[in-house]
Amino acid sequence: MHMADALLSPSVAIVMYATSMSAIGYAIHKIKEDELTEKKLPIMAVTGALVFAAQMINFTIPGTGSSGHIVGGILLAALIGGYPALLAIASVLIIQCLFFADGGLLALGCNIFNMGVLPCLVAYPLVFKPLRQNGKHLALATILATVVGLQLGAFSVVLETFVSGITELPFATFALLMQPIHLAIGIVEGIVTVAILRFVYQMRPEILISAGQRAALASGVSLKKVIVALTLITILVSGGLSIYASKNPDGLEWAIAKTTGSTELEAQGEAFSVSAALQKSLAVFPDYEIINANEKSIFQSISLPGIIGSVLACTLVGAAGILLAKIKKWKRTVTNE
Amino acid sequence: MADIRSKIEQLYSLEQLSAQNSCVHRLHPLAKICITILYIICVLSFGRYAFCEILPYAFYPLLLIFLAKVPIGMIFKRVIIALPFCLFAGVSNAFLDTAPVMQFGEFFFTFGMLSLFTIILRTLLCVSAVLILVAVTPFNELTDELRRMHLPNIFITLLEMTYRYIGVLAEEAATMFIGYRLRSRTGNGLEMKHMGSFIGQLLLRSFDRAERVYQAMKCRGYALRNFSHAKKNLDKHDWCFILLTGGIFLLLRWTATPYVVGRFF
Repeated sequence: MHMADALLSPSVAIVMYATSMSAIGYAIHKIKEDELTEKKLPIMAVTGALVFAAQMINFTIPGTGSSGHIVGGILLAALIGGYPALLAIASVLIIQCLFFADGGLLALGCNIFNMGVLPCLVAYPLVFKPLRQNGKHLALATILATVVGLQLGAFSVVLETFVSGITELPFATFALLMQPIHLAIGIVEGIVTVAILRFVYQMRPEILISAGQRAALASGVSLKKVIVALTLITILVSGGLSIYASKNPDGLEWAIAKTTGSTELEAQGEAFSVSAALQKSLAVFPDYEIINANEKSIFQSISLPGIIGSVLACTLVGAAGILLAKIKKWKRTVTNE
Repeated sequence: MADIRSKIEQLYSLEQLSAQNSCVHRLHPLAKICITILYIICVLSFGRYAFCEILPYAFYPLLLIFLAKVPIGMIFKRVIIALPFCLFAGVSNAFLDTAPVMQFGEFFFTFGMLSLFTIILRTLLCVSAVLILVAVTPFNELTDELRRMHLPNIFITLLEMTYRYIGVLAEEAATMFIGYRLRSRTGNGLEMKHMGSFIGQLLLRSFDRAERVYQAMKCRGYALRNFSHAKKNLDKHDWCFILLTGGIFLLLRWTATPYVVGRFF
């Protein structure tokens, strides 16, 4: 489900960066309330490494010719809580993007949103936690939350692609292809996640319970066994299942290939022609239009006004955030005095 | 485990490169980060047929590869990994979009072919720009810079730790596997009956190692605080680099350089 840069217009990419950054900021703010953050850091990093290994393996979905890999959002959220899980997933995505060219650098905001924010901050608190309230229904809660998280993620991919102005891909058709594939992936991933969680639950049930309540782990709880278990699963998943790792394109690529006949997309459509017209009026070198060939503008996909608008929006949001923080701080000092 | 190990080697071969010394390595990380982002935005902002406009951008990775002595094969190998899907897309474009651009005798060069070459070029340039950034900037300098940009310390620390833990898991496995092969009778891979004890041992070791790493950090006074290394400001070389390369990117973006140059002939 890693989106490549070709799927996106720069303006959508920047907006999604802003969204994901705010979500990460919020998660960090929440985590800082927990005094034992520091003790949790190693387990966050080890679970991140686990997801890293698990995401390298694509499994084939029978009958579709498509394959998917674990997103791991719900697994991490159930183990360490929603907010730390978001951070762990985000750091994994950054490493994948930088070192393996897996998902583009500009698409990073989208990828963090689709694979991190939606499962960890939406599906986990709204689906997993309510179902797990009295410590029952582990399987049901996990599978349902994984499916919901993946469905939201897949839909968000469709939406981001559509808003980018890449209308070569009909919205309905793309959505109709993406959702069922990711339903299948979700169910398979849900089952795998249940197996892992059951294992951890048998070894150290406190972890799952405390993550569910988002309470700090009691310092007496040894994290050693849990980390050992997780490492074991990492090694088993990465070593053992590699044999079955699929060579088929993953779900997103398959869906795009089905709708367009290709696995990657071209930027073309109404939004682009609008932006091109806007740009024509703003162009520094209007002469440029001479180089049109066959009525197809070579200068098609830039949406500079969009970029500037988004940057402006980000700045405004940032400024508002800083202002709010300042007001809060000022209020606190006033009450203290 | 071959797949994972090759990936881990990929990860750390880049890191080894980043420890070298060259004029590109000595540049300020901030300058390199900004220029890379500007580069990608510029390259991606062109249309689907803008092959000629994008082509001059190849100067940047080529120049950096030359100056920083990055083995071109290593970068190319990684780009190849990212290429298949783009190729697939481009090839189908070549079939779908058959409006001709030029004619060479019997052969028509179509817009589809043009977009195919544009996609390949774009992938090549963007992926190599990111890889070169990582190959000429040590990971800790990158994260230090992010910290200086006031990105949350806890997140950057997590990023660094995840990066290190991946190595801790893999290195331990590799060492044990070599030890096992040296002592085994067959000298080949792992035997089934030893799998349990091997993996069991491996996880105990890697966890112990991970905990030792963390404890060592604590012993050296680590406490999730905002610590900053001696702050290095952008010097004149960095400014030269930013203004020169950034200026060229923007110039190439807003003037149709190949056509302007072409008109002289």
